[in-house]
Amino acid sequence: MTVGISDGIAQGFAVALDPTNLLYVFAGVLIGTVIGVLPGLGPTATIALLLPLTYTIEPATAVILLAGIYYGSMYGGTITSVLLRLPGEAASVVTTFDGYQMAKQGRAGPALGIAAIGSFVGGILSVLGLMLLAPPLADLAVSFGPPEYVALTALGILLVTYLGSGTPLKSLSMAALGLLLATMGQDPITGTTRFTFGSIALFDGLDFVAVAMGLFGVGEILHSLERTDKVQAVTRRITHIWPSRQDIRDSSGAIARGSVLGFVIGVLPGGGGVISSLASYALEKRRAKDPSRFGRGAIEGVAGPETANNASSTSAFIPLLTLGIPANVVLALIFGALLVQGVTPGPQLISEEPEIFWGVIASMVVGNVMLLVLNIPLVGVFVQLLRVRAGILAAFALLVTMAGVFSISNDSFDMWVVLVFGVIGWLMKKTGFEPGPLVLAFVLGEIMETAFRQSMLLSGGSLDIFVTRPLSGGLLAVMAAVVVISVVLARRRRAAFRQVDPDEEAGPDPEPAPGHEARRTAADVDTDVPSAPGDR
Amino acid sequence: MRPPRALAALLVTTAALAGCAEDSASVAAADYPSEDVRLLVPYTAGGPTDIAARAVGAHLEGELGRPVVVENLPGASGATAYVEMISAEPDGHTLSMTALPTAVLNYLSNDVGYTREDLAPVGVVTQVPSGIVVPADSPYQDVESLFEAARQDPQAITVGTPGATNTHAAETRRITQLYDIPLTVVPFEGNSEVQTALLGGNVAAGFANLSQDLLPAIEAGGLRVLAVGTEERLDYVDAPTLVEAGYPELVQSTTTFGVIAPAGTPEEVVATLEDALRSAGEDEAVVEALDPRYVPEEFLGSADLADLFAETEETFRGVVGD
Repeated sequence: MTVGISDGIAQGFAVALDPTNLLYVFAGVLIGTVIGVLPGLGPTATIALLLPLTYTIEPATAVILLAGIYYGSMYGGTITSVLLRLPGEAASVVTTFDGYQMAKQGRAGPALGIAAIGSFVGGILSVLGLMLLAPPLADLAVSFGPPEYVALTALGILLVTYLGSGTPLKSLSMAALGLLLATMGQDPITGTTRFTFGSIALFDGLDFVAVAMGLFGVGEILHSLERTDKVQAVTRRITHIWPSRQDIRDSSGAIARGSVLGFVIGVLPGGGGVISSLASYALEKRRAKDPSRFGRGAIEGVAGPETANNASSTSAFIPLLTLGIPANVVLALIFGALLVQGVTPGPQLISEEPEIFWGVIASMVVGNVMLLVLNIPLVGVFVQLLRVRAGILAAFALLVTMAGVFSISNDSFDMWVVLVFGVIGWLMKKTGFEPGPLVLAFVLGEIMETAFRQSMLLSGGSLDIFVTRPLSGGLLAVMAAVVVISVVLARRRRAAFRQVDPDEEAGPDPEPAPGHEARRTAADVDTDVPSAPGDR
Repeated sequence: MRPPRALAALLVTTAALAGCAEDSASVAAADYPSEDVRLLVPYTAGGPTDIAARAVGAHLEGELGRPVVVENLPGASGATAYVEMISAEPDGHTLSMTALPTAVLNYLSNDVGYTREDLAPVGVVTQVPSGIVVPADSPYQDVESLFEAARQDPQAITVGTPGATNTHAAETRRITQLYDIPLTVVPFEGNSEVQTALLGGNVAAGFANLSQDLLPAIEAGGLRVLAVGTEERLDYVDAPTLVEAGYPELVQSTTTFGVIAPAGTPEEVVATLEDALRSAGEDEAVVEALDPRYVPEEFLGSADLADLFAETEETFRGVVGD
């Protein structure tokens, strides 16, 4: 049924090396790097804002562009983390721990160099994993019925609330709100309308793209307008980008482990850049002979996490391209882009739209090579981007957003949705609520409700269907395990937290305690939106 | 656009003054089209309705001598586009694509603010038949054995349909109502999800459009068609009709794509459009774009489409809203 993997790869490169697609890969990774550098615009906000521009181009090209932005931002985010201790996007938060210390010691070049090399290795290994694992997984996925989708989406919502959160209660309430919003519009089984208030505009519920653009895009723009502090332009020259032999020897293990860890975490629902980089940092620190080096410029502390976040941004495509389930918010946006194009990602994608599947994968190889070439010599140029005034950027982004959202279905109603959710997103940011769980629950909620009701129809109303089928039963068991482990970990974390000296934490050189580290950075997890300079 | 049109109407009226006194409507009709024509598409760009609209639009442009602008207004199972069209001046400059029976089922089951009375049918563009399909390894070799299994065990036969409010779900419920065959409708999103559910063995059968996206799986042997829902057999699918299988009433599952105008559009304008649409069916390039399998052999015009609306409403009135 499916084309052989080697045929697929060949076809993929034929697509990826098409001049138009080459141009879009390049545009994607360049935009990704730029927004990775600019604090205030993460990949989520950028993809949300650029989404409507992709509707007129070929589906494969659209995903190639958006994917390029995603993994490109993983490279770009490193630069400011190292040089300014200012994570350009959330997944690079951990890089500030050791990367900035290296820069202070005059080793900014090797830090950036090893990050680029690690990202490249992680990206390429992850693409290889994607090539080998996705087709068999898609074959397996065909047997996924509604009960399995219920289990998967429930697991996804659980993980995103648990993993990506400051306070579980806040993210849980946001996920609940997302689920509630997902029930608006026509009932998927009976076709009657719910919460439409007699308005035809609400017949299909709220438009996901409009909600996401509002919460991430406009919310972030509004939030950034409140900030007045300006980033100091960097004038320091960066020399010796290429890491020394010793550096490479020190980091090769971290890069290898980061690739595997990032790949695995990326596949999990709710996984993604931030969690994988955190996990890699924690792993490297635990493995180190002298853990006290970490936070004082250990090159492994840069190499591992940077490798892992790029690996995870690639492997996160696996559940989307094989099951039609977005693993994180960025992938949810790409999911939306494909749906608008009339392409439903799912088990049939590889056999029915091979040019999308293989083309996107091959473009990742091309894009990673481009990024390596771009990053090493051009680091200095990218840093100058920090001179762009936030106000100009904000006005431009808002204009693109409003024009873009109107173009989705030529409906001015969606523009109001964006504005309303923009204000909600801004308020959420101010009050410490994350839009991530809301948006993901909004997307997954629709899939979950439909699948749940389909399951009920299939089973004649019996809930047994979820546990008697091996796949859904297994997934639900995993879910139960996650809950148990999280409770145990939370208890341990509380114990660890008590041992931390509060003074040390507030010190100028934070070397976060294991438990607290997860907490602190969690505020940015999944929003992919870095906070103001000086927030950290 | 109003002033130039008024001016044009005035000029025409002046020219015609010597003869009989013409009323303004027929002047407008004689003048039609006096401005760009909007052809609304109730579905997203790139979908089958959109592709059909663009092929038809290009042809109408040539016939009418005025630009035809295809505009996508997706949402609310078509209601967004229909409401927009009805609110426009009924002068033939705002048209919409439509899909039956979805358009009818929508206003039957939801309060969308319009009914058949508000629409003026122009003609049919394509008709896409449906069929009952099973995976290749299904134990059911014909539709009778499938229905017999359902009679034996009312829980046994689940039927995947590509939507909750479209023809297939309604037609499946009619099978249960008319012939007392207990089938469980499991709505999915579109043909591809039905296909996945069939291949994964999650539903026993599917009732879906035999459209371009499903035919390759049938030709490749992954799916088998037990019966088609048309009155006559299809030359591109090797399966008997439901009528032949002994269910003469089951001929309502075909999806009809057509063009409609707002009610109150002058008859002359509808006739002009009808002629233009008829010639589209004779233009090979248009037929090729529409897929020759789905273009009706004999053109179905305004009256036929109106009959189809009435018939669809009659058929499904009792099925929805329960």
